[in-house]
Amino acid sequence: MNREVLVVDDADDIRAITQLGLEMSRGWHVLTANSGQDALQMAATHAFDVILLDMMMPEMDGALTLRHLKADSRTESIPVILLTAKGTPLSSAEIQRLGANAVLGKPFHPLQLADQICNILGW
Amino acid sequence: MNTSSPQGFKADILVIDDTPENLNLLNVMLTEQGYKVRSVTKGSTGIRGAQTLPPDLILLDIKMPIMSGYEVCEHLKADERTRDIPVIFISALGDVEGKVRAFSVGGVDYITKPFQVAEVLARINSHLTIRHLQRQLEDQNLRLREEIRYREQAEQTFTTVFQKSLNPMAIATLPEGTLINVNPSLLKISGMAFDSVLGQPLINLFWRTNRDAIAEMLTALVRTNRLQRQEFEFMTPGYATRILLVSMEQIDVNQTACVLLTANDITEQKQLENEFISLVSHELRTPLTSLMGSLDILTSGKLGELNEYGRRILAIATASTERLIRLINDILDLERIQSGEIVLQKQSCQVVDLCRQAVDSLQAMAAQSNIEVQTELEPLDIHVDPDRLVQTLTNLLSNAIKFSEMHQTIRLKVEKRDPSVCQPEWKTSQHSDADQWCCLITVQDQGRGIPPDKLHTIFDRFQQVDSSDSRKNGGTGLGLSICRSIVQQHEGRIWVESTLGEGSTFYVSIPQSGLPI
Repeated sequence: MNREVLVVDDADDIRAITQLGLEMSRGWHVLTANSGQDALQMAATHAFDVILLDMMMPEMDGALTLRHLKADSRTESIPVILLTAKGTPLSSAEIQRLGANAVLGKPFHPLQLADQICNILGW
Repeated sequence: MNTSSPQGFKADILVIDDTPENLNLLNVMLTEQGYKVRSVTKGSTGIRGAQTLPPDLILLDIKMPIMSGYEVCEHLKADERTRDIPVIFISALGDVEGKVRAFSVGGVDYITKPFQVAEVLARINSHLTIRHLQRQLEDQNLRLREEIRYREQAEQTFTTVFQKSLNPMAIATLPEGTLINVNPSLLKISGMAFDSVLGQPLINLFWRTNRDAIAEMLTALVRTNRLQRQEFEFMTPGYATRILLVSMEQIDVNQTACVLLTANDITEQKQLENEFISLVSHELRTPLTSLMGSLDILTSGKLGELNEYGRRILAIATASTERLIRLINDILDLERIQSGEIVLQKQSCQVVDLCRQAVDSLQAMAAQSNIEVQTELEPLDIHVDPDRLVQTLTNLLSNAIKFSEMHQTIRLKVEKRDPSVCQPEWKTSQHSDADQWCCLITVQDQGRGIPPDKLHTIFDRFQQVDSSDSRKNGGTGLGLSICRSIVQQHEGRIWVESTLGEGSTFYVSIPQSGLPI
């Protein structure tokens, strides 16, 4: 099944490799945003099946972006998976509090990412 | 007087007499004897002369017009500048009353006219000698007073500096290292009371840090008498890690050789350094993530099969990237543990489960070298942060595997022990709770062992036995440092025993309370 995915990360290369991985493994349709602000705009106007959100971003970080997503009726139901480097592990309580579906650690295997997302969301 | 003045005469003598014949006589007589003589006929002139240039001695006629010798003497004694000059009276009067008055106004002696030359000279000489000795004594007293003042000031300055200094300081005797003074700063960070450390060995102040290294510094100081300086990680009573730069130098205290220990708390500087490391690590990790992902896609074969060379090159690139990621993760991990950013998530765990987790994760690595991991695990319920303890066990076990030869055996043992195993012997007496016990974990290998001189530093950052170890064995040089930080956070101890060529045994002891299941 074709899926619409939004990848949010301020690092160009990571956006690119994530997009490539998802496209190559499953042929999903991937759009990218390089900031929390852009992500909020795109999420409000486009029907995404899942949002992959980087935690550590300048200005609006992943946590704040997520809070805005969950506060907006247009975006609150979109599943969100946080991408985080090993240095900032979140406890399951924190993940729940933030309203994310799961946290995936970096570095990840781009070609296995789609499988992991399917597992998490029960697709 | 025996000594001549630098000017070439024995002494400067002022003669005050209204009779020119007397003056002349005395002048000739004294000049012949090598004295410098100033003669005046009037008392007032004599006083002025004495004030302008104080002579060494004054010969003073009593009976003079206008101002008598007594009056002149009173003037001289009343003036600061001339008070101390010895005055010998000369008079024809032989009566007792005159003599008494001469002494009462401050004269030192009395010569009666007509005088005997030898007597005059003898009296002058004797008073000049007395005066000379008196001056020497005064000088000595002055010097002594100055020295005492200087010493008192120095002592006071030292006491103030020692007591008020923010730098932890201690003084101990040499060579035994028995404490004779410890300043409040050092007491504060070591959490000890002045009375309890006085007379104790210096190293007792450092019970939570590397005592052997402190003892070695002391030995090196005794041997070389040179300033010793070293950085230490120091645990405060609140289990915060402070980084101290410890200096030891030899000083004399009341003629006894002592060691002055001074510590500089450089934790803040180190923190800045660590923040920098953290920042840099993050910046390094971002491109590594995409690099790793790219290599991953290439390795998958989705973009076409590579030939043998291509696969090998890709394997090299992947291994190096993985190593870089490991290194950066370890640096960040250590930084976060040491800065207290990571709080332990303690819970009740089965130690057997944790050990199994660690062993299982390394099974493949051990199998590659045909190394057997034997376990002897006492089923104990312990209260720890499970992830952190598994991390520690994994680290110790993977080290053991790395430094073992093919077909060797590694032993992992867990046992319940007496609480004293968790506590250094100098602390045991304070804990006698019946429900205190200690979980002792032992990881023993049959590898090449650790040289004795490396045993103390093996838990420090980037302190591998051989600098090529990290490259050969894929370690980062931070594993044991991370282990130590985790164990210390659990208020436990980690140490190693090793014999070259026979193997090493790492011990982790974690204090527990309550009944083990």
